[in-house]
Amino acid sequence: MRMSVAASWVEAPLKQFVDDARVHYAVLLHPSGQVLGQYGFARSVDVMTACALAAAIDASSRALGMLVEGKAFPSLHYAGRERQIFLAEVPAPGGRLLLLAVFDWESSLGLLQLYHEEFRARVGEMAPPIAHNAPAIAADFEKELNKNLAVMFGRA
Amino acid sequence: MATTPFAPLLQSIIRHRGVTGVLLVGEDDGLVVDSVLQVGVNGAAFAALTASLYRKARRSAEAAGLGRTGYFELDAVDGRVLAAGKNELVFIVVAEARINVGLLRVELLKAVERLP
Repeated sequence: MRMSVAASWVEAPLKQFVDDARVHYAVLLHPSGQVLGQYGFARSVDVMTACALAAAIDASSRALGMLVEGKAFPSLHYAGRERQIFLAEVPAPGGRLLLLAVFDWESSLGLLQLYHEEFRARVGEMAPPIAHNAPAIAADFEKELNKNLAVMFGRA
Repeated sequence: MATTPFAPLLQSIIRHRGVTGVLLVGEDDGLVVDSVLQVGVNGAAFAALTASLYRKARRSAEAAGLGRTGYFELDAVDGRVLAAGKNELVFIVVAEARINVGLLRVELLKAVERLP
């Protein structure tokens, strides 16, 4: 399994999270779907797909949370037969990021929640500020997306 | 935490001298179902870590051909952690080092028997 990051500050907190929580896959991304770092995936197309789906799930669950509770749900968990997913918000200076983790029954939702809290704290300390006035989908989004994937999978 | 049908079972354990917390936790997800805790114990973190430990101890015993683990005890410098479970639920007890372990063990196993 390999870890790859598009921004150097991501590596330490993501590695710590993976080591502690014993997850199979972990991806840190912008809510737009742009990847910042990942562990476990071997192909860039899989990372791109996971990010797109995670961003869509986040957008949907936020809207649903606003509808039924007046505020966005901070995290989401789905337990499959063999594997489970955990998708949670990670506050960063000036904005928010998303953490997607895939784990099996060797770990647990409780452990994911615990180590997610620690991950949030580390990201809060280490992440650079996210621009407040950046559009949801920047004009150069696709270029940035491809650049990050290329950096992570060795085609930069 | 809101009162659940398990509250009487938790109360039967917490009333023992030296017990500082009792939690009923899902063995697989490590989430707290109900708890009675004194200030100073991070319930969610403790529950998740101890449930994981209990689950691994149970699997170790099974892998060694020792059968199912019914009771688990961790002896630390300043206290003890006791755990026992049934049907994917685990009682976890946090106690001071000076407790009467034998008595507490009996009470814990009785509570486990009363789990659905």
